[in-house]
Amino acid sequence: MKIRDITIRAGRSLKQAKARTLLTSLAIGVGAFTIVLSLAVGAGGRAYAGDIISSNTNVHELYVQSKQEGGRVSTAPKKYSNDPAINYGGGVSVKLLKQLDIDKLSAISGVKSVTPYYMVSPKYVTTAGQDKYQTSAETFSSSIKLDYVAGNSDGIEKQGVVVPDGYREVFGYATAQDFLGKTVQVAVESGSSNLLQPEIKLFDFKVVGVIKQSALAVVNGSNGLQIFEKDMKTLYDYQKQGTALYGTYMAATVIINDNADAKVVKTAIVDAGYDAKTAEDLMSFIFQFINVLQAILIGFGVLAVLTSVFGIINTQYISVLERTQQIGLMKALGMRRRDIGRLFKLEAAWIGFIGGVIGGGLAVVFGLIANPLISDALNIGKVSLIIFDPLSVISVVAGLVIVSVVSGILPARKAAKLNPIDALRTE
Amino acid sequence: MIEVKNISKTYGKKDNVFKALTDVSFTIPDGASVAILGKSGSGKSTLMHVMSGLDKPETGEIIIDGKNILTLKQKEVDKFRSNKMSFIFQSFFVQANESCYDNVSLPLEIANLSAKTRRKKIEVALEAVELMDKMKAKARELSGGQKQRLAVARAIVNSPRILFADEPTGNLDSVTGAVVEDLLFDYNKKNGVTLIVVTHDPDLASRCDMQINIKDGKIESIKGNK
Repeated sequence: MKIRDITIRAGRSLKQAKARTLLTSLAIGVGAFTIVLSLAVGAGGRAYAGDIISSNTNVHELYVQSKQEGGRVSTAPKKYSNDPAINYGGGVSVKLLKQLDIDKLSAISGVKSVTPYYMVSPKYVTTAGQDKYQTSAETFSSSIKLDYVAGNSDGIEKQGVVVPDGYREVFGYATAQDFLGKTVQVAVESGSSNLLQPEIKLFDFKVVGVIKQSALAVVNGSNGLQIFEKDMKTLYDYQKQGTALYGTYMAATVIINDNADAKVVKTAIVDAGYDAKTAEDLMSFIFQFINVLQAILIGFGVLAVLTSVFGIINTQYISVLERTQQIGLMKALGMRRRDIGRLFKLEAAWIGFIGGVIGGGLAVVFGLIANPLISDALNIGKVSLIIFDPLSVISVVAGLVIVSVVSGILPARKAAKLNPIDALRTE
Repeated sequence: MIEVKNISKTYGKKDNVFKALTDVSFTIPDGASVAILGKSGSGKSTLMHVMSGLDKPETGEIIIDGKNILTLKQKEVDKFRSNKMSFIFQSFFVQANESCYDNVSLPLEIANLSAKTRRKKIEVALEAVELMDKMKAKARELSGGQKQRLAVARAIVNSPRILFADEPTGNLDSVTGAVVEDLLFDYNKKNGVTLIVVTHDPDLASRCDMQINIKDGKIESIKGNK
């Protein structure tokens, strides 16, 4: 018998028991719904995270540190090294980079520039006639997208500064626009000064941009003053000159050539004896989190499918019992056991197909409705957190069809084994 | 030609052994109409099942066209039945929820014929039993006589060489029964198809060329009208 003819007959017998077919399909549909939706949420989550990463990090940027002592947990003290390090006590220390290291990094092929990470801790920030406030300073990076309320980064290289909106409030400006062009003073203590009589110098910076504190501040931590690299160096030199830490850096940012591959350069840097992380590495934990979450959701879907497998087996067994006489007739007419088995397996396949289409379809509809609602609720703008990939929806349906056929094997075997004489005696 | 040689068939095991057929032998020439006559429980249905390869006897041979079908593989027996035999049953066994067309189509689908060649044959068969107007109707909408005519159409659609009819008129009144009888005998005469009717009705048996009387699993007598 031709597969096509068997398929049509299988579909026809299912039509005779519409309610039963539909209910059995719905069981597998629940699994399809869960799996399709979790795949879409995973895809959406990864796309969103990818978006955040690309707007906040630069694929041409690597974060480099000295190779740290192994994280082995031991009560034995580590060997003393004369290399500069910051000791946090308890044996925890961070080895620092020296100018020699910076030069070495610059020489690696594919490296365009190396910017040390200047650790500057200003004493305070103020404006004329205002109180002093605590602050932090960090190097301005053009690769990070900032959400400007007023102004922009133009002119930052001429002793400019980008300031979060919170500073405007405390300095008493009504609007961010008013704050632009005003001068803020950053106080830094000289490292060589006497502890009892600290030498404090005020550095003037002109406000060129005011930024909103965005949700992304959590990711890139930019809530301090952002100052141009050259000015940061000036502050750093003033603060560290004369101290043991002068000329050492916690880390460095390596910018690679446009045509270079971050992974290749990373390998070269690691080979040279440093720790290097690409933008991707830094954000990979987000992907890991999304993947774990997605795996849990898919697990629930698989559980639902497993349950529906028993539903299919049960339904098909009943179907075989109900149609004993029909099976007997088919055998009397010379239908082969293999074809009778196929008939019932294909019926199971139809159930899986219908379930997959119903569940998958509902998931897509649900996703399309929920997507704008979720984006609104999380206030993340026009970003899709649920992305359906037609290929993955199709493969879920195909997978369920295969699962259903496998579930149909036992009932199909029972049908194929029926003795035609016994079957025809049933009246 | 169908040769039945020394067929014995038992049911049950050990203490409950029941001898359905004991050393049954006879020969049926091609194109003959044969009645297997006997009371219920005499073994006549078992004989039909054995002759069609649906059941396997313990001993004996069934030789059709020179081949012993009892030694064939299951696959070959199925093919044999599909191409050369067909059946009509007392309780019709038409699929109530399928259309007449699909009911008649089944043997052709089993025989692996294409949809196009099927159409032609189905129309001829339905025409022969005068059910053309019911082609698209569901079988459940038919009367008893119409259902048996549909079963006849299904039996003749693939031009079989041997037609088995198990009490074909048992569930029908005399008028509709006569119509079905006429159809079967006409087909037998016109096409030279061997017709084997299993019945307990002597009137139906008397219309056949040959009557084989069965009693308690043994042949009581074989009569020829010619």
